[in-house]
Amino acid sequence: MTASRRLRVALAGNPNAGKSTVFNALTGAHQHVGNWPGKTVEKKEGFYRYRDLVVEIVDLPGTYSLSAYSPEERIAQEFITEEHPDVVVNVVDASNLERNLYLTAQLLEIGAPMIIVLNMADVAEQLGYKIDVGRFAQLVGVPVLTAVASKEIGIEALREQIHHAAEAPEFHTPPPDVLQYDHELEKAVRHLTEALGTLSDLQGYRPRWLAVKLIEGDKQARRVVRNAPGGEAVLTTVLPKVMRKLQRVYGEDVDIALADARYAFVRGLARQVLTLPKHPPRTLSDRIDQIVTNRWLGIPLFLFFMYVMFSLVQNVSAPFMDWIDSIISGPVTTWTLAGLLALHAPPWLISLIVDGAIAGVGSVLTFIPSLMVMFFALAFMEDSGYLARAAFVMDKAMAFLGLNGRAFIPMILGFGCNVPAVYATRTIENRAARVLTGLLIPFMSCSARLPVYVVFGMAFFGKDAGLVVWSLYLVGIVVAAIAGWVLSKVVFTEVHKSVFVLELPRYRLPTWQGLWLHTWEHTSEFIRKAGTVILGIAILLWFLLNLPWGVQNPGESYFGKVSHALAPIYEPAGFGTWQAAGALISGFVAKEVVISTMSQIYIGEQEAKHLQEPPVLQPWEDAKAIVVGFGEATWKATQALLDSLTPGIRLFPTASGDEGNQTELSRALHKAFTPLSALAFLVYVLLYTPCMATVAAQAQEYGWQWALFSVGLGLTTAWLLATAVFQVGRLLGVG
Amino acid sequence: MSPKAVLPLTMLPPGRPARIVEVRAGRHLKDRLAGLGLLPGNTVQVLRDNGGPLLLAVGETRLALGRGMAHKILVTETAPQGESTR
Repeated sequence: MTASRRLRVALAGNPNAGKSTVFNALTGAHQHVGNWPGKTVEKKEGFYRYRDLVVEIVDLPGTYSLSAYSPEERIAQEFITEEHPDVVVNVVDASNLERNLYLTAQLLEIGAPMIIVLNMADVAEQLGYKIDVGRFAQLVGVPVLTAVASKEIGIEALREQIHHAAEAPEFHTPPPDVLQYDHELEKAVRHLTEALGTLSDLQGYRPRWLAVKLIEGDKQARRVVRNAPGGEAVLTTVLPKVMRKLQRVYGEDVDIALADARYAFVRGLARQVLTLPKHPPRTLSDRIDQIVTNRWLGIPLFLFFMYVMFSLVQNVSAPFMDWIDSIISGPVTTWTLAGLLALHAPPWLISLIVDGAIAGVGSVLTFIPSLMVMFFALAFMEDSGYLARAAFVMDKAMAFLGLNGRAFIPMILGFGCNVPAVYATRTIENRAARVLTGLLIPFMSCSARLPVYVVFGMAFFGKDAGLVVWSLYLVGIVVAAIAGWVLSKVVFTEVHKSVFVLELPRYRLPTWQGLWLHTWEHTSEFIRKAGTVILGIAILLWFLLNLPWGVQNPGESYFGKVSHALAPIYEPAGFGTWQAAGALISGFVAKEVVISTMSQIYIGEQEAKHLQEPPVLQPWEDAKAIVVGFGEATWKATQALLDSLTPGIRLFPTASGDEGNQTELSRALHKAFTPLSALAFLVYVLLYTPCMATVAAQAQEYGWQWALFSVGLGLTTAWLLATAVFQVGRLLGVG
Repeated sequence: MSPKAVLPLTMLPPGRPARIVEVRAGRHLKDRLAGLGLLPGNTVQVLRDNGGPLLLAVGETRLALGRGMAHKILVTETAPQGESTR
């Protein structure tokens, strides 16, 4: 027997039941993340080999029920009923049995072959819960296993059981009437089931499940029945009669009566299999919550955790960013240059590749360390359960913006980088609230804007530079608050209707594997999506700077001409020069390039860099520099990590190693700006469109019209405020 | 057993177990809340009330619930001695 059989397994379960931990434990690195067709809901697939089987695993979205109202619930229900997976593995949080069993009850009704995994069995045991697994399996009619997926306990047994399900699906198929409804409902369900049972072609759907779903008013069930020969008659004659009868007993809320009956089944099941300790201990989780959600301590603690996260993002990633930058501007550039010269490439092509492509890709790659650190910190907060508490603590403050606590997390992430912040809005259920949050994120001053503040701050404000930078962050927050307040009153009126309900999962120690997979997943998504956009724009910018052919002075290039044309717009704000306008145009692509564009334009040092004589290649030195550089970066990052974790105490004094090459630019800036116009310029940089990658992310998440709205909002607010600063300042006689 | 007063969840003193009597919401929201255990018959306890959202215990589940919604959930206090009636 050489050919291996394929088996398809669906993982279903509540959010926070440890479903992805089971998924990771089963598949290891063999996984792929995409989207469900036509949805922004994440689809995770993976596989593993076991004996003669290749087992494909589809991780269904985490849901609390299958009522098919939310996209997640619809996806889960349709996948199980339409795609006919060979086995459904239902992951249940053993330490929260009753609530988790509600979904289990709905899965049992569908009737697909099933295995129930009681995950987090260790937590349940610590709490003193005893679960009679044998009795459980007997009552539900399908195999029940216990597992601790985070420690890979029970995973091998699960693989074995899945293999067994492939051999003998009948031992895994729940009996049709495992869940009985109460009197009138049960009569109605049976009546409908009989009528449906006479139909010839139900495409493998269980008549009883269809009967229940028809009573619930489920669209999918109606479609299936209508497509079966004779089904239309059941829908038009039997169903209305049954419904009339039920409505006489239960009123309009027949589906709630179904939910009640399921819950009664769940309570009964829990009573028979679960023994609780006489005196339930106060859990560690509840005790942590006593402190973390405390009225007075909650917000300070949250701010403290944020502070730690930002210092990690800033300090730990900085050495690695320098390292990547040194590789790209060093060995990568010299070797490419040498290769191109050896191939006798024309100078324009060399410049396109080196100044355009490599510089562009480089600006993306240098971002990766800070993104990874941030994604890691975020994954830690999420997987540990703290993020949900942060939403709870901040809910009241967010109510002012018409948003609830869930919106707070993406906003905070915006201080690091707006792109992942936009993606993080996915956790907000209400669409209006999600889009509104996505529109406010760009006002959070991301780390890429900081270099601009620093260069201008040092050039114009001397020892007040720190105050200026701090005020800029504050201005961003205030503008976001005002914009949020106005938009929630005018455009997004339905955000107020959104109901804030959020599970606060039990605290747990995240697994390294889970954290790493999370981090890598999001980082690679950024590289793929944002990377292509930035590369494209970098090349476009190069052409604009170098066309028409043979242009000597950037001021005469197309780029220069466009900048000249735009400059008058900025006259009222005090920086109506083509150089400033040009820097802002390139800053539209990414804020990192504002300073580099300025030094290119003002100092005009860009030519003469790579002339005809080939660079000296030192393969050994280069390789050594890369390795040693990495080692140094790691050492510096470790120091920074220790410093960040002990706030207020500097374990490792930082050497102030500023190269001082800023001075030339600083002198040039003094000729072009006054302190007042510099301040207005900084306000503009703070508020206008953060970067193309953010716009691309917004377009992907909310559609192009909202992405463009956001661009318009940013440009308008930035211009108005920058002009206000300059004009008011002039009236006051400053500057 | 004398009939106990029915009151909105926002009025329930923290730490006292109560049974949910009614959830006033549309079908969609009712279903969503039912999935989280917030449906008539279940026992609920307010763990924390800071004036913002409530922190609730429903069985082993801990939930943050906005005040507006909490106001529309009606409960009746249960006798504290018969705590684990599950």
